[in-house]
Amino acid sequence: MAINLKSNMIKYGIVIDLKRCYGCYSCTAACKAANNTPMGVDFAKCISGETGIYPAAQRQMLPTLCMQCEDPECKRVCPTGATLQNENGIVTVDKNICMGCGYCMMACPYGQRHKVSGWQTYFPQAKEELDAYQSYAKGKWEEKYGYGIASKCDFCMQRVKDGRLPACVESCPAKARTFGDINNPESDVSILIKRDRGFQLNPEFGTNPSVYYLPAR
Amino acid sequence: MTLYDPHRINYPVKRTNPEKGVGVDPKWQRISWEEAMDTIVSKLKAVYEKDPRGLYWQATTVQTSEIRFAVPAFMKAFGFKNYWVSGGGLWCGNGAHFMNGIMHAAWSVIPDWNYNNYTIYFGCSKGHGAGHAALQTAQFVADARARGMKAVVFDPFLSTQASKAHEWVPCIVGTDGAAALGMINVILNELNTWDAEYLKLKTNAAYLIQPDGHYKRDTKTNKPLIWDTVDNKPKTFDDETIKDFALLGEFQVDDTKCVPSFQLFKEHVKKEYPLEKVSQITSVPVSTLRRVATEFVQHAQIGSTIVIDGKKLPLRPSAAIFFRGSQGHVNSGWTCLSIDLLNHIIGAADVPGGAFGHGPPVSMGYPDTGKPNTVPYPCPDGLMVVKGWVYDHKPYPLSEPKPPTRLDLHDMFPCSVYNAFTICSPDWEKYRKQFGIDYEPSIMINFGSNSVMTMANAQQVTENFLKKFKFIFSFNIIHNEFTEAVADIVLPDTCFLERYTPAVTFPSTFCHPTGMDHWVWQIRQPVVKPLYERRDFNEVMLEITKRLGIQNKYYESINNLIPIRYGGEMEEKNKLNPKGDYTWYEICDRLIKDRFGDGKGLEEVKKTGFIKWKAKVEETYWRWFVPVRVPIYFEYFIDAGKKLRKVTTDFGRPDLFDMSFFEPLAQWNPCPSHTNKNPEFDLWGFSWRPSFHTQSSTQCNPWLDEISVNDPFVYLIQINEETGKKKGLKDGDIIWVENPLGRKIKGPVKLVQGMHPQHLGIAGCHGHWAKGQPVSKGKGQFFDDLIIVDEAHTDSLTLGSDACVKLKIYKCNE
Repeated sequence: MAINLKSNMIKYGIVIDLKRCYGCYSCTAACKAANNTPMGVDFAKCISGETGIYPAAQRQMLPTLCMQCEDPECKRVCPTGATLQNENGIVTVDKNICMGCGYCMMACPYGQRHKVSGWQTYFPQAKEELDAYQSYAKGKWEEKYGYGIASKCDFCMQRVKDGRLPACVESCPAKARTFGDINNPESDVSILIKRDRGFQLNPEFGTNPSVYYLPAR
Repeated sequence: MTLYDPHRINYPVKRTNPEKGVGVDPKWQRISWEEAMDTIVSKLKAVYEKDPRGLYWQATTVQTSEIRFAVPAFMKAFGFKNYWVSGGGLWCGNGAHFMNGIMHAAWSVIPDWNYNNYTIYFGCSKGHGAGHAALQTAQFVADARARGMKAVVFDPFLSTQASKAHEWVPCIVGTDGAAALGMINVILNELNTWDAEYLKLKTNAAYLIQPDGHYKRDTKTNKPLIWDTVDNKPKTFDDETIKDFALLGEFQVDDTKCVPSFQLFKEHVKKEYPLEKVSQITSVPVSTLRRVATEFVQHAQIGSTIVIDGKKLPLRPSAAIFFRGSQGHVNSGWTCLSIDLLNHIIGAADVPGGAFGHGPPVSMGYPDTGKPNTVPYPCPDGLMVVKGWVYDHKPYPLSEPKPPTRLDLHDMFPCSVYNAFTICSPDWEKYRKQFGIDYEPSIMINFGSNSVMTMANAQQVTENFLKKFKFIFSFNIIHNEFTEAVADIVLPDTCFLERYTPAVTFPSTFCHPTGMDHWVWQIRQPVVKPLYERRDFNEVMLEITKRLGIQNKYYESINNLIPIRYGGEMEEKNKLNPKGDYTWYEICDRLIKDRFGDGKGLEEVKKTGFIKWKAKVEETYWRWFVPVRVPIYFEYFIDAGKKLRKVTTDFGRPDLFDMSFFEPLAQWNPCPSHTNKNPEFDLWGFSWRPSFHTQSSTQCNPWLDEISVNDPFVYLIQINEETGKKKGLKDGDIIWVENPLGRKIKGPVKLVQGMHPQHLGIAGCHGHWAKGQPVSKGKGQFFDDLIIVDEAHTDSLTLGSDACVKLKIYKCNE
């Protein structure tokens, strides 16, 4: 999907259809591959749970990511101004300004902020210090984020600039995720939100997230 | 992660510890490729010259696209017949593939998600990250769900697909076939509904049956007879003057009273599968069985039609499908058939909205070449015969029961796909001697399989089967419980990012899951050169055949197997010259050129990675375009059972298996777990598969391991919360899980609502212990250790293994 970034009217959003999602965790794994997150850090975490009483029990997956709130708490509490919001509504962290106070981690009501103290290998038992892939991933992580400072999902902005979809959207085998401009009433995301009863997670937090969910049933 | 995994095997290694066994340290020593090949070839040469029959190929179903050439071609060239995909008996589909072949000319069955409105799933997750073409089908089923398709899932636990369904029907494990027959009874005898046209023209429902159970045949042509209700006389089933077929009634032909097989079937399900009895077997309330059967029929819209690409076709938007969960039991074959018969009585087989053969049944080929081409055809009795097939005998006509020549006695049995009860038994040697196998197991070649972990109890499989081989060499990318227990030499294979695969899916067109979309033939190509000293399995096998001096036979075998497995004869110019010398790349190139034409060799196809072309309505919805029938009455089983009994009796085993499984009408038979009344063993145990793991091969991927750790169910033993509380258990308690033979495993319990109260579920193939897999070591539980493989736990019809077991649990105080 090619999106015209020049238009400052675009507000990026993702719609996650819980009817389509069957809980395969492809988004979690694809995000790791695309963003080179170290062990223990998931920008696209999925929360699996059970409700109801046998035999009327239900299991449901809730895929999450940064909600790219219009009024983000993480930005409000950031004492250094490291948390930025671009013209498309994407919340980012300037690694050169962030001092790693962790206020944003406490403030984010969706738990989508992370702080990594150091690279943690996925293969602690390996003889070599790091295999080629993890050396690459570590380098990429340090280039973009680093240690002791805040990190978060940015809807794969570099991929989007390159004309690709966010990794979690592209990888979903059930096509449960749709990416687009929620300001444009004609966009797929806007139509889905309107037509299929789209809702924000915990709207009472009052941050107006750009991630919408469609009901599971 | 797979390509650069630091635990990958990068160099050939040999075992220096002469001791073999579960948990033994092989004390690997790195060796050169030259030493590895010299050793392997000299061992093979000695066996080849003395007696090649003792070789055994063991392969994995995880990489089926890789084993289409080397395995069968090497077997033919070398001269041996012993082969199995380890786990085939447990993890693959003995009953499913056999029955799908007979009823749909396909390897698998899925709903037509384009038009389906109602699917009953029996113990399977197709379209939910499981089954063939798992990712494509996930999108199809998500589309169908989004437009309102209803799904009802029979399963002991709230599985992936049950959690996405409109209704989860908890049932006792292994009773799916009984549920299906009960619902057929409702449809035929309470609702009095069936698709008469389909039954008359596309099945043997109208064939007249004599009192001895056989077809009444025409004395001149020997063809089965039907009764024409208009002309009021018998005619051969294919007589062009037939005005209408009798499905019900009793008719006098010559001196014999005959009834249509449908009449027998209808009476049979009424007598044997009344709902009260079925409810007791399955634990599903009578009202639920009746309601689901009724909804199934209502959604089928019998009589409705649809026009697709100008062709008017029956529209039957109901389907019943099955796979691993329901078929991994003693009643394997009949369970699959009983479930599929739901589709056939409402005419919902390979028509829009119904149950689809997936694999595929009908392909008329790429427009330029007509290949791959496969179209089923009728036998003299009118029943469907598949054209190409993926293993050595077709599902129909049955192979003749005969004295076995294989080490697992496989070829004695007419309906077997794979079998485990002989080789995994302490009595393997006794079986071999009793059934006249006059040679010993000698060398095993293993391609990627981990049979120590995928064939039930590890100790039993290792001691009774794998340790009987004098030499084992194995192709692997990572060490596992198999290599460490028994392999003498392990060769570092390439992974999917380092090799060419000329046809990725298996059979070649699983990439066309359903509907009127495109056929897609995919290839796989390397993104990097093999790292370290890794070498592609196919290249290594070519070198082995050259060193053995049998490459001419190997090439001829490849020429011969391509038409069967890839749909159509090869052109002479593309065949491998037995006197030639080919690389794997050249062989791939020839296959692709032969299927798609000179301009479409590997170089060309590499640019896109696939070739696609539009599907025809006659291919996708083929049932009414191909003049074949399928059985609802298995008349030919009668003789097959008698012949098999004669063979086993001749060898002194008149009691081997229950020949009542070879009766012609669908039946349900209990597993030993259903007849175990010991109150101590009060839970049925079964294994399940998380949608993101593939058999025993992915637990070592640290991303997937991390996901598994974070998931609330994957690494835990799930039981129903009420049941757990009654036993004084709480979340996280470490419990012992013990089977009736005293074998036990332990792990943390998770009390859940999504579990039948009398069941216990564990994610399969976890609990690795191989030193070479530190990521997966000790994570989750090894359920298979609890499974029992023996004659009593084997399907008498298809030799499928029973994967359920009665268990007792108690707190671990260690």
